Amino acid sequence: MDGDANIARLLEHPAIWRGRSAAPQACWPSGFTALDARLPAGGWPRSGLIEVLARFGSGELTILLPLLAQLTQRASGRWCVWVAPPLLPFAPGLSAQGVRLERIALVSGEQPLWSFEQVLRSGACDAALAWIAHLRPRDTRRLQLAATHGRTLGVLFRARGAAREPSAAQLRLAVSPAALGVRVTILKGRSATGSSLQLTPPLCEGSS
Amino acid sequence: MSRASRHRAPPRPSVSPPTAPLAPLALVPPAGVASAARELWAALQLGAGPTAPLEALAEQALSFTPRVSLEPPDALLLEVQGSLKLFGGVEGLRAALQRNFGVAGALALAPTPLAALLLVRGGRHAAVLERARLTGQLASLPLQVLRWPDERLERLKRVGVRTLGALLRLPRGGFAQRFGVAALRELDQVTGRLPTVRHWFQAPLRFRRRRELCCELEDHERLLLALEVPLTELERFLRSRGLGVAQLQCQFLHRQLPPTLCELKLAAPATRAAHLSALLQERLRRVRLPAPVRALELRTSALLRHGPPSASLWQPGEQGGAAVGQETDLIERLRVRLGEDCIHGLRLHDDHRPERAFARTEPPSLTRATPTTRPPPPAARPLWLLPAPQPLALRAGVPQREGPLRLLGTPERIESGWWDGEDVVRDYYTALDVRGARLWVYRERRAPHGWFLQGIFG
Repeated sequence: MDGDANIARLLEHPAIWRGRSAAPQACWPSGFTALDARLPAGGWPRSGLIEVLARFGSGELTILLPLLAQLTQRASGRWCVWVAPPLLPFAPGLSAQGVRLERIALVSGEQPLWSFEQVLRSGACDAALAWIAHLRPRDTRRLQLAATHGRTLGVLFRARGAAREPSAAQLRLAVSPAALGVRVTILKGRSATGSSLQLTPPLCEGSS
Repeated sequence: MSRASRHRAPPRPSVSPPTAPLAPLALVPPAGVASAARELWAALQLGAGPTAPLEALAEQALSFTPRVSLEPPDALLLEVQGSLKLFGGVEGLRAALQRNFGVAGALALAPTPLAALLLVRGGRHAAVLERARLTGQLASLPLQVLRWPDERLERLKRVGVRTLGALLRLPRGGFAQRFGVAALRELDQVTGRLPTVRHWFQAPLRFRRRRELCCELEDHERLLLALEVPLTELERFLRSRGLGVAQLQCQFLHRQLPPTLCELKLAAPATRAAHLSALLQERLRRVRLPAPVRALELRTSALLRHGPPSASLWQPGEQGGAAVGQETDLIERLRVRLGEDCIHGLRLHDDHRPERAFARTEPPSLTRATPTTRPPPPAARPLWLLPAPQPLALRAGVPQREGPLRLLGTPERIESGWWDGEDVVRDYYTALDVRGARLWVYRERRAPHGWFLQGIFG
């Protein structure tokens, strides 16, 4: 205990340079303090590709709602684009969670992968969400590059089984329903890999 | 009363003869108005039926004379003095105009624009060539042709003035005092005492280039290369006039078959050739050419005013950095490849029925919608809605979906829409399925009390 405090004081010395703090990555707060503490950048990264692996409808979108609300309410924010959503996003539900619909655009069509890459690369969006069933590892590499180029946070929703495939996404989370909200497991990240935590998004409150 | 005043009117001597100039109205003709030059005006009145817009007809009229003026809502004025010789005199011109505009267009000619207009409104399809004969021809027209306010016409009727001739014989001083100087000035313009200033109609700008190819091409890449030249010319044309193109047509002409058309609609006016070329490349991928191309033609259908964009100090996404240019680029790129309706926005619609509580809109940057604030719904709403409610099986009184559903909390009743015949009476529940997904289900309040799945909380 006393030793820990000494080491911490020693590490604050300006002559000591630590690799992890070299390039603090800009982030968006996730809206959950517990999640922010576990995420490598201290929140959702501002650019790059992340993957959320979950069965559809098991709470995977609720953990991103605080982010969507925050991004769409920013004074000079860009769009949040949804590419190939599996169902109709229900406008009253989004609006009730604080998401401003004027900043939401939906893209449908035959080529979701191409559309998602264009959306990420364009620089027109703060965040882009996509639901794409079949992806090869090099597709995720392209998407990661496009997202970095467009300074956009790309969120890819995939099935749980995709955890076995390699991916170039900088962060991979698995989301599953839990008794009080959702359970989030960090599968890949710069730190804290393999840890899991339980969150209670506002939409999940009031369950028995 | 009016009859009596009419009887009394003729013997009344006019105080001042109509030719006497009045001091406050001695207007100097403005410079540049050719009042001294001989003019002949043709007024063309269009039928009441459904006709083309006035601007479209004015464009046709430009083939008769370069001096065309619009008289909304239903007439065109053409200054035709210079065109008489070309068309073989007044009769030849009249025949040519009638051939072009059809029988619906009534036509009158007079030395002043307003006189021609009054004649044609009065149904007098005359040709008055000299100013001296003008007043005589106008005399018998009813006052309605002036299209003055009813109140003024009523007052004139009460003093016994029913025709234009009687109106022009009224003393000028008294007339100006009673009906205003503007009305007198208008009459002076009819008779030609004062010049009339008219705005000339200018045909909207268009760009059209045709390029014959030295050999027949069917390769898309080479066609795109061949399009570079007309596209560069288009860019120069647009830049020098401060315009942007919103709609571009590209025609590929074949030796025997009808031409293949490729149309490009842009989300925002564009100027750069490289940008148009990139969009055309995407669009061309979806075009199947039935035969080799022997010539190509580029034309613009809609040109809009478009200044160079102002650069932002910030990068897009940074503090204060909007991304309007990127947004329109994105919309165009997606639309060109996937079709017009591949991208859209969302908005709320005032209705309690979930399936009608939202609507699709144009993409956000094209609508510039103002933020709407609404009271939050009384209970939780899901994030996803099924395209149509999906019936759920019922076993032992419990709705099933891959197993029994567990209903949470108290139901919310939605009862609405009795006025349009698609009324709903439902009790909505939040339910958990066996795998822990949260669903939005409802039970019909009417027989047969079916259970339906309508949304997923996500």
